[in-house]
Amino acid sequence: MATPPLPKRIIKETERLIADAVPGINAKPHEENLRYFDVDITGPEQSPFEGGVFKLELFLPEEYPMSPPKVRFLTKIYHPNIDKLGRICLDILKDKWSPALQIRTVLLSIQALLSAPNPDDPLANDVAQHWKDNEQEAIAKAREWTQTYAERKMSKIGI
Amino acid sequence: MAKVPRNFKLLEELEKGEKGIGDGTCSYGLSNGEDIFMSDWNGTIIGPPGTIHENRIYSLKLYCDDNYPNNPPIVHFISRINLPCVNQHSGKVESSRLSCLSQWKSSNSLEDILVDLRREMANAVNKKLPQPPEGSTF
Repeated sequence: MATPPLPKRIIKETERLIADAVPGINAKPHEENLRYFDVDITGPEQSPFEGGVFKLELFLPEEYPMSPPKVRFLTKIYHPNIDKLGRICLDILKDKWSPALQIRTVLLSIQALLSAPNPDDPLANDVAQHWKDNEQEAIAKAREWTQTYAERKMSKIGI
Repeated sequence: MAKVPRNFKLLEELEKGEKGIGDGTCSYGLSNGEDIFMSDWNGTIIGPPGTIHENRIYSLKLYCDDNYPNNPPIVHFISRINLPCVNQHSGKVESSRLSCLSQWKSSNSLEDILVDLRREMANAVNKKLPQPPEGSTF
């Protein structure tokens, strides 16, 4: 079955993502499926995710840009808006999606979500409750998970 | 059509399964809700009425490898059942003997397999086959 040509919009967005990369965000399409991206997001400074690099996967469905991209975390993360399977609760990935948004804006919004967890609109209920009951302790746990699952081992790769 | 990657197809199937499929006679879900690769699944089939399977509940396990949905899942019955497509020692569903698996297409789903197996149970040739005691397992 022949793969239909990639829409011009997706080609342009991909080129710009690579040529004019956003600091702390890396997105690269799979060679055999140009709608499917491997994404790395660096944990924002001053957040419990600082020092971590989080892997995500992103897919542009057939209906894109009329439908939003599908994105999820592959790296385990302790965050009230991200569930155990890495699914993300973010309005622009659902009802607030607009075709004027792009892959870039989606990834920036996810990076911003790491800086500003929102326990009032939770996806992971137990994590959100923890955040509300004892924010300091929840943040400490998020930091611990970052070290355990997402830390870039700089010394080991000699940077 | 855009080719949906394995993980996003399985996420779609998971969401559909969580909402409940069809009339509820077949259902499935992740074995481990924290398994980020979504490889192991549980399935349930309620025996079709008017057959020897009526009122029986069958448990199955389904395994989706890295190449799913290009490769079909590997399917086992946990509950003992006597059906021509099921290996009587291991409970494995023999791919060559179930049309949904032997003619697998990447657009097929876990639901299709369960529905096809339930159809096999109700098949005129199979619906009166003697069955092992209810509740026994492979």
